Amino acid sequence: MKRLFIWLLLGGLSPLAQAFDLQQLSEQLARPDVIHGQFIQEKHLRALPQPLTSKGRFVLAKNHGLLWLLQTPLQQDYRITPQGIARRDGGTWQTLPNKSAGAEQNRLFLAVLQGDSSGLQRDFDLNLSGQPQQWKLTLTPRSVLLKQIFKQINIDGGELVQRIELLETQGDRTVLRMQDSTHTKALSEAEQHDFAE
Amino acid sequence: MTLPSEHRLPRLFLILLLAVLALAGWQWRNGAPLSANLMELVPGTAPDALELIAEQRMQEPLNREVLLLVGHTERQQAITLAQTLGEQWQASGLFDKVQWTLQADLPALRTQLLEGRLAMLSAADRQQLIDQPQAFIQQRVQALFDPFSGFSLVPSQDDWLGLTGRIQNSQPQRGAIQLDVGSGALIAEADGKHWVLLRARTHGNAFDMDLPLQVADLLQRSRAQAGQTQGQLLAASGLLYAASGQQQASREITWVGGGATIGILLLLLLAFRRLRAWLAFVPVLVGILFGAVACVALFGRMHVMTLVLGSSLIGVAVDYPLHYLSKSWSLKPWRSWSALRLTLPGLSLSLATTCIGYLALAWTPFPALTQIAIFSAAGLIGAYLTAVCLLPALLKGVDLHPAQWPLRLCEHLLRAREALLARVRTPVLLGLLLIFCAGGLWQLTTKNDIRQWIGTPEQLTDEAQAIARITGFQPTSQFFLIRADNQSHLLERQTVLNERLEQLIALKKLEGYLSLNQLLSPPAEQQKVREALARLPAFWQPLLDLGVPVNALQTELAQLQALPVTDIDTALTGPLAEPYRTLWLGPTTDGVAAVVSLQGLNDAALLRVQTLDLPGVQLVDRLGDLNRVFAATQVSAAELKLASCVLILLLLTWPFGVGGALRVVALPLLAALCSLASLGWLGQPLTLFGLFGLLLVTAIGVDYAILMREQIGGAAVSLLGTLLAAVTTWLSFGLLAVSSTPAVSNFGLAVSLGLAFSFMLAPWAGHQAHATAVTEPAQ
Repeated sequence: MKRLFIWLLLGGLSPLAQAFDLQQLSEQLARPDVIHGQFIQEKHLRALPQPLTSKGRFVLAKNHGLLWLLQTPLQQDYRITPQGIARRDGGTWQTLPNKSAGAEQNRLFLAVLQGDSSGLQRDFDLNLSGQPQQWKLTLTPRSVLLKQIFKQINIDGGELVQRIELLETQGDRTVLRMQDSTHTKALSEAEQHDFAE
Repeated sequence: MTLPSEHRLPRLFLILLLAVLALAGWQWRNGAPLSANLMELVPGTAPDALELIAEQRMQEPLNREVLLLVGHTERQQAITLAQTLGEQWQASGLFDKVQWTLQADLPALRTQLLEGRLAMLSAADRQQLIDQPQAFIQQRVQALFDPFSGFSLVPSQDDWLGLTGRIQNSQPQRGAIQLDVGSGALIAEADGKHWVLLRARTHGNAFDMDLPLQVADLLQRSRAQAGQTQGQLLAASGLLYAASGQQQASREITWVGGGATIGILLLLLLAFRRLRAWLAFVPVLVGILFGAVACVALFGRMHVMTLVLGSSLIGVAVDYPLHYLSKSWSLKPWRSWSALRLTLPGLSLSLATTCIGYLALAWTPFPALTQIAIFSAAGLIGAYLTAVCLLPALLKGVDLHPAQWPLRLCEHLLRAREALLARVRTPVLLGLLLIFCAGGLWQLTTKNDIRQWIGTPEQLTDEAQAIARITGFQPTSQFFLIRADNQSHLLERQTVLNERLEQLIALKKLEGYLSLNQLLSPPAEQQKVREALARLPAFWQPLLDLGVPVNALQTELAQLQALPVTDIDTALTGPLAEPYRTLWLGPTTDGVAAVVSLQGLNDAALLRVQTLDLPGVQLVDRLGDLNRVFAATQVSAAELKLASCVLILLLLTWPFGVGGALRVVALPLLAALCSLASLGWLGQPLTLFGLFGLLLVTAIGVDYAILMREQIGGAAVSLLGTLLAAVTTWLSFGLLAVSSTPAVSNFGLAVSLGLAFSFMLAPWAGHQAHATAVTEPAQ
């Protein structure tokens, strides 16, 4: 359920009506058109003494989708758009087959992208604390099915999302840190090309 | 004027009637012994017991399951509505199981995946593991970092090599349905709506008489309820077809039976101007009783289609009393017993010829026609016995003064015929008629399709198609039956077949298939995987580089090596095996057998070709086989027709001599030919049912020819008797022609056309000189 990361990364974008207010938070997060940044992903597996760490860059564009460019320890580019998930093989994007659960995550992710809160609020209990400059959002799954997979999801951020922590029911844990995020007005030509293809 | 025997006859007959009534009461003790199963009506083309079992297995879900799509533009509304309806359906008590969420038993799934790591690996994954272990490990490393690789049921530390993930991802796609992780609902999106899939399984099957109607009724209420919140329901089920068939049958029985009854009663009243003439309807009722009792006695139960077609019996059965009632135009005064005595030879001949005609149907390989034949023959005998034994007693003392207008009409018709013959001679007329026939036959087409047997409402087929389009499930009735000595051979035979099916899928000739070897590989392949895994330590350095402890990998490898070879029965126990369970037929007398089901087939012939050089593999195409049987039966039906004619001819030689008999038989044959030609001119196809209808025309048409040839009471009175008989029969068969079941309507059309021609041709039957002249001048 790792793809959930990504929509959770954007999860803060969804307008959610509560005190400090989820509405404010989503407006705040929805403001930038394009966000560039670095990420560090740490997978803490129960059986491994140290986490599996990977690093790379991401590009989040409001009207296009997400580019997830893994750089170390191996290079692999991913793209999430309304059309689905694609992986770059050689020079071309290969659309990955939509497996049932995967496609559903993709749908949720895009629902979030488009500011449709119904998806998140239906599946999770949301709890927001802190101020606009430093906040914490906790998602607890509601449905029996999701509870068998996640214990909890924590999202921390300021102006933008900074950290996502995913606690799996089986004991594994994944931490995703977004660093040096900057927002710009437009995509570079290469990025536009990547989304267009 | 009443003979002693005529005193005893009614009593004896009443005893028989009581006995039959008692038998009927016993037969109906547990409710109506009726059936609506179409498959009971079609010939058994599968002599092979295994094939039958496979077929029942494949059809069972169709006859017990309702597939419902709950649609709404708002996803959440669709889910809520599906939940409400699901609860209501569960509470209705009609269903065994109503399911709208995926009740995933994750621990059981994990166990199955872990235990199936050797057996359930797909062919492509096996190939990579064996041929490119390096790439295999590389992909695993990639997957561990891949945030988008999807959700893996088994945690990494239980499956460092990632075999379970591969198995999970290689499971065949189940259409366009996707899981809503929040609600667990299965949802498809199409036409701007979200469709939640709801499946319900009934207690009984489609062929219980009440269940389909109850399900259809429930669906109707649910539709109304969904409509209130702008929801939309699409449903598909064999049950709905059965319900629609039943409703249609009862509607048509009402129309045909009711229409014919009212018409005949009206005719009796108009012609005989006495309410007691309605007693002529008693033989009809007794006939139906006899027919039903005989049918249930012989077949255990009666099909609704027999009732629909059998309701046309009303028109034929009423002919017997009409035979002697119509003598009231010439016999003055008319006395029931003497009129009967006068017409008894004709009546008996008529019964014999009609029964020959009907019973000829019984020799066809169609249970449907056998039933109709038995129903009709028994019914006719019942009607005849009533007309001969009981009715005269009931009509004793009645003095009939029939209306004169029908007789004048017939005299008029006869004069018109004379006038015509004066101008154009019979051979010329015959020539013209033959030209008409030739022209019609030239345009005649034949059509044989099982679908003609079902008058399926368009809404049902439209919805089924919509469901197939939205969900991507396109089940076909064809499937492959695979036999082998043992499980290992069976799976290997499936492997060869699957390679060919994959080619067809690539060519877009097939959407997909489901086969046991998608769930598990043959034992030899499992062994190869085991051997390839043993070589893996030489290639797993990249995993060690990530920090995976070497002893963890070694432990896992040892576990994998210790996994036993999985057989089909074991593989079928886990939750992933659910769709595969129906495919396994298990041990047979000479080995084992399984089914490969197909999706979205568009060329059965192409599939058949695939099996030509594959031993033990057979395409079962029931519909195709049936259609072929239909076509083949047309030939045998034509032979039966000729045989029945020869029988009737032999029978008639006794009273009429060879020449007379030939004439009497030739007329209905010519009428049948004209009916056939008319179908051609009307652009109607000849179906198997139409042909059977023509078989009947010969039988009933002979009656008219006999009546005209006997000429008891003069030509006009005989024509009047024929006219009355023809009108009553038309009333019932003509009404069949408006049936919405194509087969029934074609049958009705063929018969009513044939009877019309029989009536028109009847005056050419000639005149039989009687030893004792009973002719009295008309009027």
